Amino acid sequence: MAAHPLPVENGVSTRVWSASVNGKSRQIIIRDHDILLDVLRDNVGALGAKRGCDMGTCGCCSVLIDGKPKLSCMTLAVETEGCEITTVEGLADGHHLHPIQTMFSECGGSQCGFCTPGFLVVCAALLESNPSPTRKEAQDAIEGNLCRCTGYQQIVDSIMEASDIITSEERLVSTTRPASNPHPGYGG
Amino acid sequence: MASDKKEMVGYRQQPGKLDFTRPGSGGSSSISRERESDTIPESQGGDLPQPWGPHRHDDLITGRVIGKPTPLIDSKWKVTGQALYGDDIRLPGEIIGRLVRTDRHYARVLSIDASEAESLPGVLGIATGEDAPHAFGVLPVTKDEHAMAVEKVRHIGDIVACVAAEDEDTARLAANSIRIEYEDLEPIFDIKDGLKDSENPIHDRGRYHIGESNVQKRVFQRFGRVQNIEDSIASHESSWTFKGVNHGFTEPHAVVAHWDPRGRLTLYTPQQVPHYVHRALADVLEIPMHQINVYRTFVGGGFGGKSDPFPHEMCAAILARKTGRPVRITFDREEVFWTNRGRHPSKITMAIHADDEGRLSGIETDALIDGGGFASFGHVTTYYNGVLHTAPYEIGAFHYTGARVWTNKPASGAMRGHGAVNSRCAVEVGIDDISEKLGVDPIDLRLANLLPPHSATITGFRITSMGMRECLERVRAESGWDEKFRNMPLGKGIGVGCGFFISGSGLPIHWDPNKFPHATVHLKIDMDGGVTIHTGAADIGQGSDTVVAQAVAEVLGLPMDMIRIRSRESDTSPVDLGSYSSRVTFMNANAAVSAAMQIRSELISAASEITGVDEKRILIGDRRVYSKDDPSNGVSYLEALHKAQEDRGALLASGSYRTPPMGKMHKGAAAGLAPAYSFSAYVAEVDVDVETGKIKVEKVWAAHDCGKALNPLSVEGQIIGSCHMGLGQVISEEMRYGRTGNLLNPDLLGYKIPTVHEMPEVVPIIVESNDPEGPFGAKEAGEGPLLPILPAVCNAVYDAIGVRIQELPMTPDKIYRAVESTCRKGGFESPLDLPSPRLVLTSLSKTLKERGAQHSIRDKMRRLESEIGDYHNGALFGNDPETPPEELDPDWHVQVLPDEEYLEEPGLAGSAWLHTERRHRGEVE
Repeated sequence: MAAHPLPVENGVSTRVWSASVNGKSRQIIIRDHDILLDVLRDNVGALGAKRGCDMGTCGCCSVLIDGKPKLSCMTLAVETEGCEITTVEGLADGHHLHPIQTMFSECGGSQCGFCTPGFLVVCAALLESNPSPTRKEAQDAIEGNLCRCTGYQQIVDSIMEASDIITSEERLVSTTRPASNPHPGYGG
Repeated sequence: MASDKKEMVGYRQQPGKLDFTRPGSGGSSSISRERESDTIPESQGGDLPQPWGPHRHDDLITGRVIGKPTPLIDSKWKVTGQALYGDDIRLPGEIIGRLVRTDRHYARVLSIDASEAESLPGVLGIATGEDAPHAFGVLPVTKDEHAMAVEKVRHIGDIVACVAAEDEDTARLAANSIRIEYEDLEPIFDIKDGLKDSENPIHDRGRYHIGESNVQKRVFQRFGRVQNIEDSIASHESSWTFKGVNHGFTEPHAVVAHWDPRGRLTLYTPQQVPHYVHRALADVLEIPMHQINVYRTFVGGGFGGKSDPFPHEMCAAILARKTGRPVRITFDREEVFWTNRGRHPSKITMAIHADDEGRLSGIETDALIDGGGFASFGHVTTYYNGVLHTAPYEIGAFHYTGARVWTNKPASGAMRGHGAVNSRCAVEVGIDDISEKLGVDPIDLRLANLLPPHSATITGFRITSMGMRECLERVRAESGWDEKFRNMPLGKGIGVGCGFFISGSGLPIHWDPNKFPHATVHLKIDMDGGVTIHTGAADIGQGSDTVVAQAVAEVLGLPMDMIRIRSRESDTSPVDLGSYSSRVTFMNANAAVSAAMQIRSELISAASEITGVDEKRILIGDRRVYSKDDPSNGVSYLEALHKAQEDRGALLASGSYRTPPMGKMHKGAAAGLAPAYSFSAYVAEVDVDVETGKIKVEKVWAAHDCGKALNPLSVEGQIIGSCHMGLGQVISEEMRYGRTGNLLNPDLLGYKIPTVHEMPEVVPIIVESNDPEGPFGAKEAGEGPLLPILPAVCNAVYDAIGVRIQELPMTPDKIYRAVESTCRKGGFESPLDLPSPRLVLTSLSKTLKERGAQHSIRDKMRRLESEIGDYHNGALFGNDPETPPEELDPDWHVQVLPDEEYLEEPGLAGSAWLHTERRHRGEVE
């Protein structure tokens, strides 16, 4: 926790927080008691991390801290000094979505989508450490996340499908569905 | 297409580099190339009939997307974190609003001292009830809410004032430093106390006030022949307690209000029903509706909980007007529970009777429901608790008394399966019990008592398509019911439950049904060929945008990526009633089809002009408009479009849908009236630990008749998600109130939503009954699938341990106590000695099987025949099916007011009728 302390103002001590968020290094003045979720949403602008309960019960705010899924509403920003933080916005490689993102979309893993960012980072971490999980392992990985829409089944389906893609080493062909030519017959 | 594919491999999204040939051009040839035959859609405009007979939309099928699992049209936003929900709307110069919530159960507000808050640096605005004296509410007949308390606070968490400040810390500090003086009033928490006269009723309804009580709404309905009940040989009686349940959507309420420099208000809100907010804002702010733009953000789950116009939405607009800055208000999870609008805590007394032929000779229901502090949708809920269990069974008599009372608790309202869930659970458990008493299989009993397709229920609902029988048969076969039921060892059980739900409400809340359509959809197609859909339907995650886009894509023979949908803003969308009562797919897709049909006919006439083929012989297929007789003779979609656009520019169309005239004329006849109804049957298998009382639901076979699955991916998601939500209510979810009326668990730690580990494997089974009125045959799939899971689990628990629990949620302590008491009464030393229930079939079983088989043929004929005679409930009891029974049978009651005989011995909710309305007491002006 080698953050740079700044002078104490109005009884609140502040410091410069340096961390990498989605591959970009950030230096932000924070207060010692600032919660990581607030810093990510309000200062960094990573609105993909969602606030659902503020007490670590829903998992919507999950982010990866040095590759490990953590609840950002239960983490002080100062604890993450110098860490690499990944939110849902950091999962895609340019325009190429992470297989888990594509599969959440294709398999119905996301309905209202509010819990989705939290699930996605947790699933991405799972697939990183265990590219071919069993259904039980997939369920264990997401036990800390609540979803009110899907009943989890299509989420687990999405994980299994994404695992298939990752393990088959097939390059995921497209990021979006191929755009249609409204004028077939003239495509060459 | 092959060439398309080749070019798209490895395709990266590079804006501006899409490889369209001559983008926007009309092409040069009037005849496009011959296509490979396998690219021509399968359905050639209605030549292939639907399995359940033809449908009026058959000739619009182009084989594009309808019936294919389709990812949600906005899912890429959601998985990349680009979907903006309520709290994600960040406007330049925004400030933060906080609501000042009371800590009193029930009190008169004497004074509000905000001087300390005003003096805090960074505080920009404070508002109280005086700033917004106008009442609002979702139903025009019960407008009883204010932006902030005007005279009284009615439950802990009720809003007294609101503040806006530069940042959240200051706003919280300011909110905490507002001093409020109260005069405490005697609160009520017990639902039964609401029935009594009170010195200070929680609301005053003026001349319509019922006695001096806290009864908000009362219903009495008596249909059918009492003699049928008296002739019964078996009766089930139960007395249920259902605890309050919250929607538990993951996104807490949030709102952003912004008055633009021109003086118009834009309200960004995750709303299911933007139009009602629009109306309420106009009332509260005293500005015309055209000065307001309601912008629906992405909605992080609704389930009915975001369908009222809310005080915090009014507060944000008031603060933004006061301060001249955009105001954002976001709830803590605790505030979500204070706002509530969840399922009503209920006490339901149920009696079900069956006669010697195994017919359901009567259902008597008395439902007392706890409305909490405000009316919300309660008027409707009170009806739904009764009328929504008049089907799918043919019944000899239906007696219902319902009452909704105000108590000093957060308001109950609409929640997935609105009003139908609790009483449906009681009915289905009752039927399980009746079949045990009659010595028959409960599925056989149900199959022998179903109403046929195209029939009328006892209260006059018009049933069209009806897939109940197929649902039951499918779950029976797939679950291995016949081997398992009453055959499993102690602790293992299987149970069945059915459901019935409306697919859209026949009565719009805010206007006469004949005045405006229920749903309107606009289409715009310009030179680029893409179709823009304007609809006001609120996509709350259920996929309504996708379904509406699918309907348009299907009719125009276009792929989904050529469809764009604009459904967020009231400025650009036609008025839509919103996402409630499972109306969106049914009504909006119908409106979308009618709009797309207009565009379609313009494309066909243009193509006919180019090719010389008769319009009647032209089909629309995959981006082509071509001759039915010679598919090689045709033009591309873009050619036809550009021809149609000559001399006029963009094609525009407006389609709408309104329900046909339906139903009977008695008071309350419109409640529960819908253009179509969905049906479902579930079988659940459970494992109960008799020693600890813990329930594990192992597997659920879930069959739902959604008419036609326009998007099977979504339908399955809805079925599984409904199982999850219903399961929560059965095993763990409960808003717990302490002895002093405090809500003990306003958080997601104490309010136990099932996690992935509690979730059983669900086998979704889609049954398609091809509804004549629905778009391409579709009905609802969002709410109905929730109903059967509760009774299926309850019945399975009985099958496992032989104990019926009449209180939900069935937490381990309740099971444990019930098992303990059964052991004591039966003289068993250990719960492991308990006998597992067994089924001893009686001769009635054969009768029912035969009747079920006959009815199966009857039903098949009724859905296939072109001329179908009327069928009124009561025919099974010897009445003429073609005539409403009350017209022929003098003993057939249709009664919506209690008689003196009833009032001598009323039921619990029925006792609400002992009061006289003020206007009838002659003491009011």
